[in-house]
Amino acid sequence: MPLYGKKQFNAINRSVPRIDGYDKVTGRARFAADLSMPDMVYGGVLRSGRSSAKVVHIDTSEALRLPGVLAVVTAADVEKPQSWASYMYITDRVRYVGDVVAWACAETPQQVREALAAIRVEYEELPAVYDMRAALEPGAPVVQEKYPDNIFKESVFHLRKGNVEKAFAEADFVIEREYETQYIEHAYIEPEAALAVQHAGSGEMTVYAAAQNPFFTRRYVADILGAPLNRVQILQQTLGGSFGGKEEGLGLLAARAAWLCRHVNRPVKMTFTREESFLESSKRHPFLLRYKAGIMKDGRIVAWEGTQIDNCGAYNNQTQFMNWRANAHSAGVYSIANVKTDTFGVFTNNVHGGAMRGYSSPQLLFAQEQFIDEIAEEIGLSEVEMRRINCLKTGNQHATGATLSHVTISEVMEHTLAETDYEKKRETYKKQTSSVKRRGIGMAICHRSCGFGAESPDASGAMLIANEDGSVLVHSGLAENGQGLKTAYAQIAAEALGVPYENVQSFGVDTHAIADCGMTVASRGTVMGAQSVRKAGLQLNAVMRQNAVELGFFADMRKIEQVNGLKPYSLDDFSVNSGEQLLLRDGVFYLPDYPAYTVPFNAVTGSGIWAGKQLSSYAWFVPEPCVQDHETGQGVIAPTFAYGCVVAEVEVDMRTGYVDVLHVTSSHDVGTAINPALIKGQIYGGIVMGQGFAVMEDVELHAGKVGNPNLDEYILPTAMDMPNMRVNVFECDDEKGTYGAKSVGEPATEAVGAAIANAVYSATGRRIRKNPAGLEQVLLGKKLSKG
Amino acid sequence: MQQLQYIKPKSLHEALQYLHEYAGQAKPYAGGTDLMVQLRAGERRLAETRYLIDINGLAELHGFAMKADGTISIGAATSHSAVSQSALLQEHAPFLCAAASSVGSPQIRNMGTVGGNLCNGSPAADTLSPFVALGAEIELHSLRGLRSVPAPDIYIGAGKVKLAPDELAVRIHFSSAAAYNTAFVKLGRRKALAISRMNVAAALLLEEGRIADARIAPGCVFPVPGRVPMAEKLLLGQTPCAHLFFECGKAVAEEMNARTGLRWSTPYKQPVAEALVQRALCAAAGIAEEE
Repeated sequence: MPLYGKKQFNAINRSVPRIDGYDKVTGRARFAADLSMPDMVYGGVLRSGRSSAKVVHIDTSEALRLPGVLAVVTAADVEKPQSWASYMYITDRVRYVGDVVAWACAETPQQVREALAAIRVEYEELPAVYDMRAALEPGAPVVQEKYPDNIFKESVFHLRKGNVEKAFAEADFVIEREYETQYIEHAYIEPEAALAVQHAGSGEMTVYAAAQNPFFTRRYVADILGAPLNRVQILQQTLGGSFGGKEEGLGLLAARAAWLCRHVNRPVKMTFTREESFLESSKRHPFLLRYKAGIMKDGRIVAWEGTQIDNCGAYNNQTQFMNWRANAHSAGVYSIANVKTDTFGVFTNNVHGGAMRGYSSPQLLFAQEQFIDEIAEEIGLSEVEMRRINCLKTGNQHATGATLSHVTISEVMEHTLAETDYEKKRETYKKQTSSVKRRGIGMAICHRSCGFGAESPDASGAMLIANEDGSVLVHSGLAENGQGLKTAYAQIAAEALGVPYENVQSFGVDTHAIADCGMTVASRGTVMGAQSVRKAGLQLNAVMRQNAVELGFFADMRKIEQVNGLKPYSLDDFSVNSGEQLLLRDGVFYLPDYPAYTVPFNAVTGSGIWAGKQLSSYAWFVPEPCVQDHETGQGVIAPTFAYGCVVAEVEVDMRTGYVDVLHVTSSHDVGTAINPALIKGQIYGGIVMGQGFAVMEDVELHAGKVGNPNLDEYILPTAMDMPNMRVNVFECDDEKGTYGAKSVGEPATEAVGAAIANAVYSATGRRIRKNPAGLEQVLLGKKLSKG
Repeated sequence: MQQLQYIKPKSLHEALQYLHEYAGQAKPYAGGTDLMVQLRAGERRLAETRYLIDINGLAELHGFAMKADGTISIGAATSHSAVSQSALLQEHAPFLCAAASSVGSPQIRNMGTVGGNLCNGSPAADTLSPFVALGAEIELHSLRGLRSVPAPDIYIGAGKVKLAPDELAVRIHFSSAAAYNTAFVKLGRRKALAISRMNVAAALLLEEGRIADARIAPGCVFPVPGRVPMAEKLLLGQTPCAHLFFECGKAVAEEMNARTGLRWSTPYKQPVAEALVQRALCAAAGIAEEE
């Protein structure tokens, strides 16, 4: 299938306006930090600021005496200081700078700050380790007692295919390289916030939260309260960005607020400052990536070996999932017969790595796609030819062993290269001699397994409710995080149910009103999460057709004859007695053979409500199982893959090392474009996030301390820095996802950094093996630091 | 915890009285774009601060004026936006307008002031370099009287200035540079809302195709801001060309090493100082950086 535009649908495949767009652009949207309640008080935390230490003595007496202070809490006061995961709500054993040693609750935020400042803590410093290489040395300080060698053993994965040793021995060339990536902050506009309210009578806890995953947040709140899940309600508020970040840190925040709320018996609001958000939200894991390839003279890669090590920080509950993905994608979008890779996470006394848009792919691609360029140059082949020869094609075996269908990467790549005049520019730029400014062009290709695949069960549920006036509510346990999920779900519900998009409303997640559908992560919301919405829509479509018949809307044959211009009594032998005879499309019921007579959707709902008819549906969707061998990684890892190609053009100031990203073309096979405008929005944002990763973003850690914990010093692209962007949306006939849709949220950003790094090389002849391509890195080949 | 009182005096005299009365505990508040950030960060140099004296309403601290002798003065509480848009300054000190327009973001330029930029003591202050090149003097008032200090002379080192606690910068004075060709170049880590990694202000007076006077003021290069006389001297009587400016850039970088010693950042700063000085001079002279 070619570029977007050839498919036929009613409510999907169209750029309808976002459901929440108007409220957001007019400033009416309410965020968790905007909320307030009668009798509400505030909570805050004291962070140790130390990387590894023991609290020897903590004195809260002075803080407790201050005006307005309702509670000052230390680890000894909390029944369960450790969360259900390794993270600590509060602790007396500090493992990184963000660790919390006390909480305070007071009438005003100012009084909270004063109380926290009045707490006296005496620490005993303990040994610490920060660097991944050092953490792996024998005898290194142990970060988590459960992991004496600092290796997060649940995060160890292997890929084994063919016979790598033999293939290397037979290869004409063997090439090895090492790359390293940095910590990246999500830097969403809205910092984390939660407001906890306990119902006076029932004691039930409600938390209004800036949560990416309300059910995940509920797990933390129920855990700290020791309450059953049915006594904890999380109401997701409008999110000001998340990108994977409002998971663990937000869960800890919501749990602390709930504990304090119960403790002081008042509603408690807690919000992170920007600095706290930098310290306690997860970061994109830094990766140390070593690859070795065996190549034949004709350019075929016959062997691929890799070690992928990521920095978990001090606590972790993501690396084991993320490394599944890193393992499955460890050989790139290439068809290689012999593969052997190992992936594992290492604990250090740093801020913790976690989910961030891309979930290991930006890091891996930064290395792999530069490595492909480096291999090509070394064996004297063009990097384009190298990719043409080796990239996956329909019928090829993936590195995980599955035979692939609908592989569109060649088509997506060729289109992008032709459109950007890539090959000609690449040659032209080789001849530059300027010592001041040089242009460069670079490419990267990528593939991404859609949804959870074999990582985790990819099931979900959805409920549709048709109201008496014909308006429809779609309810899912998956969450709107800014990506446009509410809009996409309303479109999919409308398509499946057969009503106009405008009839459908989608609201945020209330954990009391729907089942846990898993997390809104892994770019699964549309491709897999919406399968249950579609299923519920199709179910309700059938129910409503039957209702239309049973309520007598198709009983008057004279009327049907008349409207269809038929002679009276010509349909005397015909009767409508089953909903299956009808169609419900675009808000009207009709008989396919006599379509002029139509019954509006709201006529049936209007009668149905008084006749006690079912006007709702609930569906649960479970995809076909993906089964994979843990020791070899072989098996089926996902229902399908999304493919993409990015070409970036840069201008490098050869005298200062400044990289100006001029133009980025980003092409993606999205299967079916549910909402092309939202897809483009995702891709534009993904490009700029990729640019930040490639040229400027870097959470600076010095002995575990964050050197740039606010947006004045953490440099990310501004509107002035954005490149010109061109987006190509491809569709294909692959039907595995919802209406054929594939993932796009993460594909949108994952290959951008690699393409820019390759463009920097094209301009300068200098390889950026250590990200990002900042001033010093480009000019001198290394970062500089005071240390 | 730091408690702050906000005071809004009605006259300059009243402001000076407060600064005198609360000497050491009062800070003039103009745009607040640095001060509020530093207070929130709990910086030690503000530990004693108890009073913020809002000087925005004082007429003496606003506006532009040009005297008959060609000297120009700017009120210390003039915003960066106002400076960058001033027709008078665009004629008489265009590189100052360029520097002011490169500060922070539109919001910061609307609030932040040139007086604050100088008195905050940051070596990365963007307007500092053109002010140094202009030979600007800062008019300081206190109840004890009035004194004028050349802009670089109030700097002691990064973040430290030689202002008495009761002194207030009221106006900045300099001679017109309308006869000069000027340029300001800035290197940051992104295109907007970036602190200078380095910057250079350059002014060239050309007479019959030759350089009759040259002023070079690099920013973030010296511990105490200043011009570079030995490098400027290389240019006098010469015809502008990229090679000459390249040599001049090298001289500035050598001077940097001489004044600061070799530091962790020298491997980067040396070649880049060379480049930016050459770039600024080329831009001022209107010639290409590359021959």
